[in-house]
Amino acid sequence: MDVADELMLRKFQKELNSGTVSLILLAILDRSQEPLYGYQIAKSIEGNWQQGAPVKQGTLYPVLRSMEESGLLGSRVEPSVAGPPRKYYTITDRGRAVLADWKSAWATTRDYVDMTLEGRNDA
Amino acid sequence: MPETIEAYLAELRTALAGADPALVQDAVYDAEEYLRSAAAENGGTPEAVAEAIDAYGTPAEIAAAYRETERTVTAALRRPAAPSSKSTNPFARFFGVVADPAAWGALFYMLLSLLTGVLYFTVVVTGLSLSAGLFILIIGVPVALLFIGAVRAISLAEGRIVEGLLGQRMPRRPRTVVVADGTIWGRLKSWFSDYRTWTTMLYMLLMLPLGITYFTVVVSALAVSVATFALPIVQWVANSPVIRINGWGYLVEPWGAPFFFAGGLLGVFLTLWLAKGIGYLHGLFAKVMLVGRFEGGAQ
Repeated sequence: MDVADELMLRKFQKELNSGTVSLILLAILDRSQEPLYGYQIAKSIEGNWQQGAPVKQGTLYPVLRSMEESGLLGSRVEPSVAGPPRKYYTITDRGRAVLADWKSAWATTRDYVDMTLEGRNDA
Repeated sequence: MPETIEAYLAELRTALAGADPALVQDAVYDAEEYLRSAAAENGGTPEAVAEAIDAYGTPAEIAAAYRETERTVTAALRRPAAPSSKSTNPFARFFGVVADPAAWGALFYMLLSLLTGVLYFTVVVTGLSLSAGLFILIIGVPVALLFIGAVRAISLAEGRIVEGLLGQRMPRRPRTVVVADGTIWGRLKSWFSDYRTWTTMLYMLLMLPLGITYFTVVVSALAVSVATFALPIVQWVANSPVIRINGWGYLVEPWGAPFFFAGGLLGVFLTLWLAKGIGYLHGLFAKVMLVGRFEGGAQ
C-alpha cells in the first residue's frame, strides 16, 4: 500500500470511528455491571479488537466527556493509588434510551451497506 | 515520541497551546489517569510507559481530538441567543436583557457571593492559622494537607458555580501538576509549590469583600427600583405622604405616578445590565485566579 492510499485509509477509518466509538462506549457501559473508569473502558475495547484497535485510546476520553455533558453518562470520582483520582462512568436512563435508538440506526445502516457491497440491492 | 509520562503531559500542554486553559486541564487530567493506570498495571517499567504512550496516541493526535470534541460540544450545548440580543434596535437590545439568562445568572451569583465569600474567607483564615500555629507539632502536617485539599476542592466547586451562572468555561477536573514522581509525597509537595494553590487562596480571601460589595450593590439597586415603583401605590393605599423630609410630607400628584412606575422598571433593567457586566468581569477574574488565562504553553 503506498503512502497516499494509507492516508486515505486512515482518514476513512477516522470518519467511521467518529460515529461508532460513541455507540461502542455506550454499549460497553450498558453491559457492565459496575461503573468503569477511562482506562478500563479503553482496555476492554483494545482487548476485543483483533489485530490492533484502529482507535487511539486517548481519543476515547473526549468522547466520554462529551457524552457525560449531554447527559448520556453519569460519573463519580474516587481516589486511586496509581495516579490522579479516577472518574468512574455509568450509563444513565437517558443513555439507555439513546442507545436503543442508536442500535436500530446502526443495524439499518450496517444491513444497507452490506447489501450494497454484496450487490444484493441492485434495482 | 516522549518517553516519560511527565514529558508526555508537557508535550500535550504544548500541543494544546492557545486552547481554553480549562480544556487543557481536563485533557492533561485524562491523559495522566490513563498513562499512570496503564503503566502501573504493566509493572511501571520504562517499556510499560512507552507502550501506554503508544496506545494512548501522540500528543498532536490527542490535542486534535479534544479540540474537535470541544468545538462540536460547545456548538451543540450553546443556548440559542435571545432574539432581542441580536436586534440592532438599541431599545430592543436594552429591554431584551430581561430574557437574558446570563443577566439573571449573574444576579443570582452576586446574591450568592455573600454566602460563598464568607465561607471561603473563613476556610482560608482558619486553615492558614491552624496550619501555621500547629506547624511546630507533628499534627500541623496533616492539618495543612487537609487544608490544601479543601482549597483544591473548593476551587473546582467555585469553578462549576462560575461556569453555571456566569457562563465562563471552567475546568471539569481537578488541577493536575506535572510531578517528577507519581508518589503521594511527590503529589503533595507539588501542591505546595504550585503557585495556583496560592492564587486560589488569594481569590478565596478576596471573595469576602467582593461578595459583600456584590450583595450590597444588587440588594440596594433592587430595593431602590422596587421602592420607586411602589411609592405611588403605597401612598394611595396608606392615604398619607410617603416622602417625608424635615417633618414635611410630600404627596405625589396622580399625574406623577406613571413616572415613578417607569423609573422603577428602568431601575430593574439597569440592575440587570449592571449584574451582567459585573458577572462577565468576575468570570474573567475567576478564570485568571483559579485556572490562569495565559497557561497552556509548556511549563
